[in-house]
Amino acid sequence: MEKMSETLVEVKDLKIHFFTDEGVVRAVDGIDLDVKRGKTLALVGESGCGKSVACRSFLQIVHSPGRIVSGEILYTRKNENGQGEVVDIARLNPHGRRIRSIRGKEIAMIFQEPMTSLSPMYTVGNQITETIRLHTEATKQEAWQMAIDLLDKVDIPKPDRLVEEYPFRLSGGMRQRAMIAMALSCNPTMLIADEPTTALDVTTQANILDLMLDLQQQYHMTLLFITHDLGVVAEIADEVAVMYLGKIVEKSDVNTIFNEPKHPYTQALLRSIPKIAVTREELDPIKGMVPNPYRRPGGCPFHPRCAKAMAECRTVVPAVTQLNDNHTVQCLLYEDLVGEKAMEQAK
Amino acid sequence: MLKYILQRLLYMIPVMFVISILIFVTIQLPPGDPISKMMENQRTQINVQFSEQDLEMMRARYGYGGPLHEQYIKWIGNILLHGDFGYSFYKREAAGKVIADLMPLTLVVSIGSFIFTWVVALPIGVLSAVRQYSIADHIFTFIGFIGLAIPNFLLALILLVLGLTMFQTSFTGLFSSGEIQQAPWSLAKVGDLLKHIWIPMIVIGMGGTAGLIRIMRANLLDELHKPYVEAARARGLSELRLLIKYPIRHAMNPFVSGFAYLLPSLVAGEAIVAIVMNLPTEGPVLLNALLNLDVFLGGGFLLILSLLTLVSTLLSDILLAWLDPRIRYGS
Repeated sequence: MEKMSETLVEVKDLKIHFFTDEGVVRAVDGIDLDVKRGKTLALVGESGCGKSVACRSFLQIVHSPGRIVSGEILYTRKNENGQGEVVDIARLNPHGRRIRSIRGKEIAMIFQEPMTSLSPMYTVGNQITETIRLHTEATKQEAWQMAIDLLDKVDIPKPDRLVEEYPFRLSGGMRQRAMIAMALSCNPTMLIADEPTTALDVTTQANILDLMLDLQQQYHMTLLFITHDLGVVAEIADEVAVMYLGKIVEKSDVNTIFNEPKHPYTQALLRSIPKIAVTREELDPIKGMVPNPYRRPGGCPFHPRCAKAMAECRTVVPAVTQLNDNHTVQCLLYEDLVGEKAMEQAK
Repeated sequence: MLKYILQRLLYMIPVMFVISILIFVTIQLPPGDPISKMMENQRTQINVQFSEQDLEMMRARYGYGGPLHEQYIKWIGNILLHGDFGYSFYKREAAGKVIADLMPLTLVVSIGSFIFTWVVALPIGVLSAVRQYSIADHIFTFIGFIGLAIPNFLLALILLVLGLTMFQTSFTGLFSSGEIQQAPWSLAKVGDLLKHIWIPMIVIGMGGTAGLIRIMRANLLDELHKPYVEAARARGLSELRLLIKYPIRHAMNPFVSGFAYLLPSLVAGEAIVAIVMNLPTEGPVLLNALLNLDVFLGGGFLLILSLLTLVSTLLSDILLAWLDPRIRYGS
């Protein structure tokens, strides 16, 4: 068996709540997550499930009224002496110097909207060199040359010309490449990508994904990829965590998730993908809507939409069930199973 | 950029032409002409200065009695060719000289109020937005609404009363005494002006300041949660640098385009305040010139003010193009 890879970030019972006038929204409601060094973890879920908020907490950029209420984000960084040092990001001051030295330098992020994530007021080069100059000792000229090299690396044609362009003069795909170049500028340990291909057309999506995978190999980066697109997950992920209403309902390696999904939500998600080879009358969407965040269902949050819901699901919150070393699920169906197994073993 | 500026300067010519016609026609609208009005004044006043012959000569020189377009051509022709704004019957000197005497102080007061407005409104607006719903925001919002609601002249009156009752000084005028006002410019005179100018500056700038605070706050609140701000934060920028480089820069746009409208509104607001505070600026003189059918003085003032407005519009557009590349590359 392959040796377990080192954990880069370990999230323990993380809770992020939004305190609004209408009430408290539990956007992230106690998640556990291991991000392994050099691997790609895909965080999957429908809109509003809390995946974007969860990944923003890695950089402490959850915006108000959202707040990390409890839990730990243990990040293993290399300190100046090259030794491992564990930092709990959840406890760093969001405006402090320590988290700022991690942002952009050790953990970089690219966003869903390449159209609006770059400021139209400054040239692409200005915004890339800003990051370089912030985190390194490079001079203005050196940083400018680095920016051109980076743009070249993300396959932008004529990088020496484009570096002087304003973002609004570029296409969406080009802008996302520029964003990736910016994220790579300080050679980060980890790259968080929040639906980076959602706003792009399909052919551009494929190009950007290929580019990201390629760069991940080159830079030995850990990738945390947030998406709702299972096709993308199949292409890039090593590990998959499925989120629903602030909880991670199932977590395993990519093959297990696609071949042996256990949670009814994961199963429904996979069923809802249109398949070309299989003739079917209609699409098979998940019934119902994501519930109103202010009126979360009691018990298991998925029970109103679940095809296998039982009476207990309305009242009992399922615990995390460890199916095997690398597969957890949060569903009452399997709690009993494990219980029975344990009982059998006890006999 | 240079081509753009030249183009805009060329556009100003036809605009100024239309404005000058409008000014001239509007001033001529009331019945009677300034010369008849003056003769009427002479009948009621004792200090007779002009003979019938003088008046006839003036009639001929400025084309009175002829058709309107002839009068207009003579008027605008004298201004453009000879710099002759005509004769002010009300002030009894060349209209050009009256304007030249009053314009510098008017501009000093207006530009002073303008700078006051920006210097106060910008930081307060930023603070109100960044610390939205904080105590400071509530206090400034409250003061801002009061500033918006109180008419300038009322504020001027209140300050005058306060000055007289509490400090036993008069806040009127721009100088300590009439002699200083008449004296040629010197360091002492500038010092005296600086001592007096801040009260009119605050009074005239108050309404604009309150308005700009609200605009800046609203603009900045829109920008603070834009994706490019979050992206810059994720790159590790400190909050202050982030704020100045991205959202404030973006929020400046409406601020700068407001610059064009601020000057005329300051000059207009200044007129009433100048009457209340007895300021040696153009406002009261312009008002009296119009009341006395003093075509040349009134027309001359309006012409100069319109030109200033056009120039300030141009300046704000150039500033905007310099500030925002999207406008530079727009066409």
